[in-house]
Amino acid sequence: MAVTLNSISSRMVLALLAIHAVLLPALFYGVLAIVKIGQEEAFVDHARNSARLIADTFAADKALGSEQETVRQLDNAVLGGRSTYAVLYTDERTYVSSLMDASEVRSFSEDFVFGDHDDDVYYLSVPLELENTVAALHLGFDESPTLTQIAGVQKTLTNIILVYFFVSLLLVALLSALLAKPIQQLRQDSREVASGNYSKHLLVSSRIHEIAELTRDLETMRSNLVGVNSKLQEEIAEREAAEAKQQSLEVRLRHAQRLESIGTLAGGIAHEFNNVLLPLLLYTELALEDLPEDGSTRENLEKVLKLGNRAKGLSQQILTFGRQAGDAEKLALDIAPVVEEALSLVRALIPATIEIRADIKHNIGTLLCDESQIQQLVVNLCSNAFRSLSVGGGDITVTVDEQHVTEDFVEKYPRLRVGKYVCLAVGDTGVGMDSATLNRIFDPFYTTREVGEGTGLGLSVVHGIVLKHDGEIVVWSKPGEGSVFRVFLPLAGQQSAGHSDDSD
Amino acid sequence: MTRVIVIDDEEDIRNVLKVVLERAGFEVDVAASADEGMNLLRDKKADVVITDIIMPGKDGVDAVYDIRMEFPKTRIIVISGGGNPNPSDYEPRAIKTSAYLASASAAGADVSLTKPFDREELVNAVRTLAERS
Repeated sequence: MAVTLNSISSRMVLALLAIHAVLLPALFYGVLAIVKIGQEEAFVDHARNSARLIADTFAADKALGSEQETVRQLDNAVLGGRSTYAVLYTDERTYVSSLMDASEVRSFSEDFVFGDHDDDVYYLSVPLELENTVAALHLGFDESPTLTQIAGVQKTLTNIILVYFFVSLLLVALLSALLAKPIQQLRQDSREVASGNYSKHLLVSSRIHEIAELTRDLETMRSNLVGVNSKLQEEIAEREAAEAKQQSLEVRLRHAQRLESIGTLAGGIAHEFNNVLLPLLLYTELALEDLPEDGSTRENLEKVLKLGNRAKGLSQQILTFGRQAGDAEKLALDIAPVVEEALSLVRALIPATIEIRADIKHNIGTLLCDESQIQQLVVNLCSNAFRSLSVGGGDITVTVDEQHVTEDFVEKYPRLRVGKYVCLAVGDTGVGMDSATLNRIFDPFYTTREVGEGTGLGLSVVHGIVLKHDGEIVVWSKPGEGSVFRVFLPLAGQQSAGHSDDSD
Repeated sequence: MTRVIVIDDEEDIRNVLKVVLERAGFEVDVAASADEGMNLLRDKKADVVITDIIMPGKDGVDAVYDIRMEFPKTRIIVISGGGNPNPSDYEPRAIKTSAYLASASAAGADVSLTKPFDREELVNAVRTLAERS
């Protein structure tokens, strides 16, 4: 953290300085004044007492002795260490201690004030009442020891205050650093949270309860936000999934509607077509009856009949696609023999170089179905598989098995219901299909083959049959690898759960 | 001899059916509409009536009703083109011919055939019904 005037440490140090700027001088001068006054009083008392004692030695003699005697007495006063200056004034003359220079003698009318003069000597005058005369004893006391003592106190005081000042400055700096540390930690952690790591817990421990409370509150806020955030994320994911589902349903619906409208159109065409085909075929048959056994006319008419029958097959395919050809009679059947019969037909139709591997499971259960339509379904799927194989041959795999349709599967293929289904799968190792082709394979008249090779109806017929049986067809394909068509048909008993509204 | 009346609005169809059935040994009359067919039936009774089901004016279902009311012993074959009628040509009573056929069966038709049927199929149906009438 950069040290600025606005940081906690700086503020605390500044506060300390401000307090000390007032407090310390006051303390310093206050203490010093108290010490000074005490020392002064002690000194003055001492000087006065000493002066009294010296005066008493003179007064005890009642009268002054010889000059020599008096001077010696003054010298004693000086030598006694009590004063540095001793002068005795009488009416007649002045006695000066021999221990001091005569030039030092000074006259003063009243007692000095402590410290109020230059030479560090405190002068005082004591009156002497002798028998024959009145005298005045002038004494001087050295102030310097006391002044030195006061100076010493001042120095000690200054040191103490300086030490105190720096120690407290240091303590404040340390304390504020300690105070700032959890806040800094908190700041770092919350930055991490802000930058996206929402799982980062704010767990700064501090004995300072404001910081501890702040941490706790921020942590509560964070965990609440994380909860709200994950809920939002979930909602977004759900919405996206729902939208994707909706979209896929719409695509399916559009596809179904397109097939439906094409079916209606095709049914109308087939209707008219059949009205033409019937007399065409019958007239041709009648004409053939009238012709002799051989001849080119007969041959040609036979060709007309053959082509007419092909047209009839085509028309029936259209009708099956339109899901209207006749009324399919659904019976409860075991699908396995139906598929096997269809496969024997398929084997007769395709070259022997193509291997058909069949894995048909028997006794799965019965299926409510139209036998001929199931056979057509198998034939069409196998024929489609055969056409996707290249000239060199390949395999066709046909399996029939029981399959349990799960909820996940139903979500992808909403026509189905959860439960037991028969799964008829036809796979090939052929050319496969790209996704553009996959999207259109059930469209009628859509074909990837050369004109004349395929009608483009085979798979749309398969689709129609599957829908009619409340089933679903799932296609897997990859270009160059092959395709697998899986047809799901509900087992009997499952039918009631199927789409009853989907049948026409 | 078994008498058959063929009712179809398409001339080619009723004519080819007439030839086919005559060659099979039946006596055949043709009518272009349900009303014409009813008049023919009233003039000289028939054992079997073959009627198209989707026709302008009175359609095959009505024809079956009428025949059943007046001639309960006459057997009826309804024939249908399959698919669905073009709505611009008629006022269809149902969208799909399968529904028409179901209505006709309900009205009392004995057999229904979807065009294009085989010759034998038709002849056999007429023969079987004629034996019953």
